[in-house]
Amino acid sequence: MLIPRRVKHRKQHHPKRTGQATGGTKVAFGEYGIQALTPAYVTNRQIESARIAMTRHIKRGGKVWINIYPDRPLTKKPAETRMGSGKGSPEWWVANVKPGRVLFEVAGVDEQLAKEALTRAIHKLPLKARIIKREEGDA
Amino acid sequence: MSENNLVVADIRDSFGKGAARRLRASGQIPAVIYGHGTEPRHLALPGHQLLLITRRANAVIELSIDGTTELALIKDVQRDPVRQVIEHIDLVVIKKGERVQVEVPVHTDGESFPGTVATLEVGAVNLEVGVTSIPQNVVVSVEGRNEGEHVYAKDIVLPEGATLLDDAELLVVQIAVPAPEETDEETADEAEAETESE
Repeated sequence: MLIPRRVKHRKQHHPKRTGQATGGTKVAFGEYGIQALTPAYVTNRQIESARIAMTRHIKRGGKVWINIYPDRPLTKKPAETRMGSGKGSPEWWVANVKPGRVLFEVAGVDEQLAKEALTRAIHKLPLKARIIKREEGDA
Repeated sequence: MSENNLVVADIRDSFGKGAARRLRASGQIPAVIYGHGTEPRHLALPGHQLLLITRRANAVIELSIDGTTELALIKDVQRDPVRQVIEHIDLVVIKKGERVQVEVPVHTDGESFPGTVATLEVGAVNLEVGVTSIPQNVVVSVEGRNEGEHVYAKDIVLPEGATLLDDAELLVVQIAVPAPEETDEETADEAEAETESE
């Protein structure tokens, strides 16, 4: 699972969920990709689950890229705890994904297999997404 | 590119996001044209026609502005990443017979040795070509290539009259055997332990 090795601050504020992605909105490495259509916090477990779903479906051949990284910690207070007494302990590592962001990319497989694999990956993610293809027309 | 696309452009005299949004709502796209020492001119172009033209990389269009026609190369297209509508276009004035620097997409052709995957390391190469002969793409054949083989920019067969601007040793295609699926539970646990200890 993806997890930062060292962080400057263990407990951070929640990342902003407004707006659209300003970078990483095109397929950069592979031929097909998953583009987010809604904002979401994608946890490292979900990223790993999506990656496994894709690689197991592709079986052999093909290459998968993960374009997001879960570098933001989210905290949670224990159940049945009174308010106060400071911030809870880090519980999840998430990637702050905004609409337009390309999350995963695939190359080296035919279109049908790529779409099937990416669809399986989308099912593991907490957001609405679509499959996009590398574009040439962007001058 | 050999064919020219005739586009009738209007001169734009209202600026700012409000005016641009009204323009887009009326089916047009705000654009700017510059180059060859001319003052930048702000244009309004037909939306649907430009949407079709910009599907191809490095499209050359023939602009008709106030009755005069001139050639222009599409330099940059700004799109909304979610809705995929064109928000703005940058055009560069070009002259017939001129040579221009363009980014041409790279395609792979054929099947590499069974069990290997051909990975495109760069999606496009920079070429200097004549404006009337901008190639849509350059093709790299990976037919029968085996693991560990590399295709460099110097190995690409360029169209006639084209000059490579990139480094000749730029890695374009790499043939490799995909790594087996990682069983990285141990490494993840290690990383988790490290993070928690800090």
